[in-house]
Amino acid sequence: MTDTEIINIILQGGRNEYRTLVERYQSMVFRTCMGFLHDKDDANDLTQEVFIQAYQSLNKFKGDSAFSTWIYRIAVNASLNSVRKNSSGPILSRLDLLFNTGKERELSFPVYDAEDPENIFIKLEKSKWIQNALDSLPENQRTAIVLSKYDDLSQKEISKIMMITEGAVESLIQRAKANLKVKLSSTYKKMRLIP
Amino acid sequence: MNCQLCQKESDKYREGKLSDDLRTKVESHLQQCNECAESYRIQSIAESIIYQEKAISPDINLTARIMARIENLEDTGYKISKPFIRVLQPALIVASMAAAIFIGVLIGNIYKPAGTVISRPVELSLIDDATIESVDILSNE
Repeated sequence: MTDTEIINIILQGGRNEYRTLVERYQSMVFRTCMGFLHDKDDANDLTQEVFIQAYQSLNKFKGDSAFSTWIYRIAVNASLNSVRKNSSGPILSRLDLLFNTGKERELSFPVYDAEDPENIFIKLEKSKWIQNALDSLPENQRTAIVLSKYDDLSQKEISKIMMITEGAVESLIQRAKANLKVKLSSTYKKMRLIP
Repeated sequence: MNCQLCQKESDKYREGKLSDDLRTKVESHLQQCNECAESYRIQSIAESIIYQEKAISPDINLTARIMARIENLEDTGYKISKPFIRVLQPALIVASMAAAIFIGVLIGNIYKPAGTVISRPVELSLIDDATIESVDILSNE
């Protein structure tokens, strides 16, 4: 059954059909959220919010673009809003760290049993290193690079999601890569990431 | 091969998308140029971290959680409705409130409780204000 057919059924009262859409697109929405938030729990929560928001706005989906494009847009906007919200309260987040009142963060990379703690630490540092570099990018460059690297989308697909030309996407990705390179190189030696 | 070309082709080299000839040139340049080699190494680490993050899957219960939230929403009265109904609903509420206020004021003006009607004495209605002497004239005298 196509996405449009499922949406028509849902709009006629077949709520349970939404499960099919969720199962079809949850991994890609989750990856997008992960690319912005770098935290499994946060990405899960945001994925949930994205699907709830999409369900509530389903009647606004006109079918001009693919459902995947539409839900990607919702995921990108929700992720950017979440990032903005998190970055607007640095004092609170520092207090949270200071008093350890926050939840225990799950590592954003897989850790295998009996792995050397030093190795885990190096992985964690590396992970923070790339996250900080990605987070320092302007929003449009960040969106383009996340959709390209995390979701493996083509420039054509990214251009539809971001509603810009393919040329503009290419330019954004090139600038993002150049900025990332500068940022990563500048912190590379300080952190002694590579033994 | 110069540094600029090497760095331009480094992504394709990493992904194994270069022709044999170009791949050999990139490899040879990376062996000779420390700066490009370091840059290539950094990019490779970044790619591997992104790859690790991409490998993480969403919670297995995520679909169930989403469907439960939607069920709760609908149990509390939320229904997906067509856009015109969504606009029409608040408009109808506002219109009905305005109508209720108007009717309330109208009824309030028409209704006069029997006990509170003040009847004007006949003597007072016969007094002609124009014939009453001005207080100013009296005070001047």
